[in-house]
Formats: sequence, C-alpha cells, structure tokens
Amino acid sequence: MLKFADYGIFSGGDLMGVKYEAVLWNRQKKSYDIILWGMIVGILLVFVVSQFLMHPLITLETLIIRATALTAFVLLHLILMIGPLARLDHRFLPLLYNRRHLGVSMFLIALVHGAFSIIQFHALGDVNPIVSVFTSNQNYQAISEFPFQILGFFALIILFLMAATSHDFWLKNLSPKIWKTLHISVYLAYALLIAHVATGALQYENHPAYWAILILGFASVTGLHFTAGFNDYKRLTKEKYAALEDGFVEVCTINEIQDDCAKTVFINGENIAIFKYDGNVSAVHNVCKHQMGPLGEGKIVDGCITCPWHGYQYLPQNGQAPAPFTETLHTYIVKVIGSKVWVHPTPKPEGTFIEPAKVEQT
Amino acid sequence: MSKKDFYIGWQDEMPESTAKFLKKLVTIVGVLVVGLVIVIVTFQRSFNDHVFEFGSQTEVTGVYIAEPYPMLQITHANLAIDAESVLLVGFGKFGASEIMNEIEAENGILDLQEITLKGTLIYGDGVALLELTDQGDSFVRKSGNFRQPLVHDKSNSRISLTGEILDPKCYFGVMKPGEGKIHKSCAIRCLSGGMPPVLRVWDSSSNTYNYYLLSGKNGVEINSELLPFVGEMITFEGVVYTQLNWNVLEIDPKKITRTLANNE
Repeated sequence: MLKFADYGIFSGGDLMGVKYEAVLWNRQKKSYDIILWGMIVGILLVFVVSQFLMHPLITLETLIIRATALTAFVLLHLILMIGPLARLDHRFLPLLYNRRHLGVSMFLIALVHGAFSIIQFHALGDVNPIVSVFTSNQNYQAISEFPFQILGFFALIILFLMAATSHDFWLKNLSPKIWKTLHISVYLAYALLIAHVATGALQYENHPAYWAILILGFASVTGLHFTAGFNDYKRLTKEKYAALEDGFVEVCTINEIQDDCAKTVFINGENIAIFKYDGNVSAVHNVCKHQMGPLGEGKIVDGCITCPWHGYQYLPQNGQAPAPFTETLHTYIVKVIGSKVWVHPTPKPEGTFIEPAKVEQT
Repeated sequence: MSKKDFYIGWQDEMPESTAKFLKKLVTIVGVLVVGLVIVIVTFQRSFNDHVFEFGSQTEVTGVYIAEPYPMLQITHANLAIDAESVLLVGFGKFGASEIMNEIEAENGILDLQEITLKGTLIYGDGVALLELTDQGDSFVRKSGNFRQPLVHDKSNSRISLTGEILDPKCYFGVMKPGEGKIHKSCAIRCLSGGMPPVLRVWDSSSNTYNYYLLSGKNGVEINSELLPFVGEMITFEGVVYTQLNWNVLEIDPKKITRTLANNE
C-alpha cells in the first residue's frame, strides 16, 4: 500500500524509521534532474557563447563569476516561484516535489560564484580573504558604496545551511518546526541577494534594463506569494461556522466533497481536512508532518491520505502513517446527518482512532 | 482534479496531463531564460583591451628608479606597446617595494642603475607594468651603467583633478573590469598591499583617460589614507610633475573631496 517517498538527496531514506539512503531514484526524479541540469548547462552555455560573441575581451575569471551569479539568481527566482505556483495550480506540484534538488544545485552554483569572487577580489593580499570581505570596504554610509559582498556572503551562509540540512535526516532530527523555520530563511537570503545585486553589480552595470529585470523578478516572486496567500485567506475567511451546543459545527453538504478528496475548514484556529472515501467521512489535521504540506489538497490513494507535496501518507481513520512509519496526525470526530457534514473542532490526540461517519445512501 | 490526475512524486510515472503541461512549461521557461541571458549580455559594458601576459615571462632592461614608486626607465625591451617606462608591481595584491628591497639586500643599492628584471607584462592605454614574482626569479643582472637623478619641475603646477583611484595592476590588464564598485574591494586590498595608487581622470577634450600616480609630499606613501576613497569619484588638489611617461600628483590626503558622479 505505502510507497517510499523520496526523502532527500544527500542520504535519502525516510522520515519514520526506515534506514536513510542516498537519493531514492525513480524515473520522474531522473527526468527532473536531467532537465534541471540540462537547463543549467544551457544557461551557462548561452551566457558564455553570447559573451564571446559580444564581449570577446572578457577574462575567464569574470566569465565564471558572472555566469554562475546569473544562473544561481535565475534558479533562486524559479525556486521561490514554485511554492505559490503549486498553491495556485496543482500542475506545478512535480516541480515542488523535487525542489530540494533545485535548491542544492542552485547553492552549488552560488558557491562557485562566492568562492571565485573571494579568491579574485580578496585572496593573495595582506589580510585573510574572509577578513578582507568584511574590512576592505567600510563605507556603510552611502547605499551606492555599500560593501555589497557582505550581503552575498551572509546569503551564501544561509543557502549553505539550507543545502546541508535539506535531507530528511535533518528534518527528523531538528524537528519539522525548526527545520521549516530554518528553510523559510531563504526569503532572508533572497532579500540579501536583491540588495547584493542592487548595491554591487548594478552600481557598475547600471543600464536601466538591469534595474527593470531586477524589479520584474522581485515583483514576480512577491506578486505570486501575495496572490497565493490572498487566495488562501479568502478561502479560509469566506465561510463562517457557528458551533452548536454540543460543539459540532456544520461545515458543508456531503456532495461538496468529491470522492477520495477533502474539504478543508478553519474553525477556532483548527485547520481541518475532511475526507470522503469509500462511503466514509473522516477528519484529520490539515498539515502534513513532513514539511507542513496541505493534506486537504491531497487525495486518498490506496486507502491513505496522500500529501500533494511529497506523497506522505496517513490512514484517514486514525491519522497514523502505515507501518513501518510512525508519523501521526490529530483526528476529529465527524458525523453525517442527512446530507450535512458536521465536525467537532476539538482535536483528539494524534493517532486516535475515530470511527468514520457513514455517508447515508439516498 | 480527477484521481488519475493526482501527482505522486515517488511513483515512476506522472499523470499524462501533468507531463504535457510540464513539457510546455519547461519550453516556455527555457525560451524566456535564454532571452533573458542574451538581454543581460547585450547591455553589459564593454571591456577594455588591456593585456596581462599570464604564464609568459619577459625580460626588461632599464634604469631602476625607486621613488616615488619602483619603475624601470626602459633601455632594452621588446614590448607590444611603446612605453618609456614599466611600473613595477609585486605578486598578488602587493607592490614591488618589498621584492626590490630584497633584491637590493643581495645585490647592493640599485637606484639609478641599469638592471634587467624578469616578470609578467601588463599593459594597456599607453602604460606598461611588470609583475615581479619573487626576488630570486625576478632579478637577472645589472649592467654597471647608471643615470643621473631625475629632476622634477614642480613650479606653477598646482592643479585640481577629479577621478577614480585605481590599482594599476588590475586596471591595466589583470582584471576586467578593474575599476568601479565591483572591483572596489580588490583595489583597496591592492593599495593596502603597497600597490602604487593611480588616479584616472577623464579628459573630455580628447575623450581619453589621463593617469596620475598619487603620492604625498616629496613622494611619501599615502596608500592607507587613500583606502576610504578607492573606487569612488574624488577630487584632489595637489602639485603635479612628470616622471618619464607618468604624471605624478603630490597631494595632502587631509584635503580630499568626495564628488557626486558616476564612476565612468
């Protein structure tokens, strides 16, 4: 019933007790990486060829620094757009599933840029190159003269921490909450890199087209996040629920829930996914234990709630991941009266079995 | 979304509709990214034609002049450009003073003597430099010839100039670009290591750059005082004189003015 999901690229394995291994390759994952690295090589090649055609006097060092900077920055934009795009349209989910491959690839390219830049501009001098990054330019007063390398340095540290902990071994050992918090710092890294480019390269390469591209990229990333967030906000606030005396809340009619799918509701701070399957209705907490994915946007596959983000699975009756996995979700009491579905928004302890409500046949 | 359209990453196959969508998406993103790269390269500033003969060693014979910065007045050399002198610089981000001191410690005082040095040539815009790697490899011989001290006429030569402080090694060939904000930290590192500071000034009447070696009064090194101003447009007031093919500007580092202008 339960398939092994991909749990990472450094040592693979799974979150819930089965041994960690290197990447658990499958056909989709191989295709993803082939296309990803085909694209990376393609960007680098187009950049190198067009440089030699238009600017043949460029030095090899500058070529490497600029090619890797551009490639990594483009990939970072794509990475940041995937999340909201997948929220807006489920057809983007395959990009989300393997996003860590994209992230680690982007970090490696950014590392080449950072290392080459430090060697080029700070090595073979009278102080340690890392010390030089922080001490060479100390003009913090003027934005145009700001020591932009420091911004890139800290962004690279964040990207390193994310790449190094991208595997589910770290997700498990750091706890999903800490892991997620660490990985949300990609937005801090992005902000630092926008400032790094604006106060660095664009102070020299100051053609208006570069500013337009930078602003367009930033607007695309932020615009998609606001759109996805606004959609979620509208969905969560559109429906008002009032509890009856016994604590149950009427949430929808049974026909509003498609077979093997869920309706998600937000009541008294509880994020609940109510699934209809095989004539039964069960409710669980709507947040996957893996990376906090929206379970209610998943489906029942082989009798299990299957997370749309990474395919993690849980039994709908008790919120437990099938053996050998040990993840558990809060469950909620549901009842179906006539065509109406009612839920009690008080969570039961994680993994508590609750008899599914039966859909009344009409 | 029908059940058959539901994507699960750990399965070998993805739904056909998803695969079709992704093919289109990858094609569109690919075209957009290629277009983006070409636009970015198109609007890039062009690079100068300065040369760093990396990996190639050249012998240059000339009269060694130690002040204000080590240079050779060329007497015998086969250079690609017509230059009266080569400014000497050290390996990495260092000036040549230390290496020349080591050479003099072994071979006696060399100031104003004709010597032959071996190093890597750097040249562009009428200026030539020689990078010395270390004293053992760089010093070839001294001929025994010498010249009289240079005489500098500093009368009526007080001027005001606005330009960017550069390190000549990077600017004249080692790095492209070797100027402006991107290169600022490197130039600071180079000047901190004793590289001769050069002021680049745009001459709008001839549409060319003029270059000035910067020093304190009577050739005193002022690199550390210049570090906060490297890579920016700065106005200097000082006394200018000519030494071989170089202009030398003697300034008081306490009277430097920042200028609001582009680093062109």
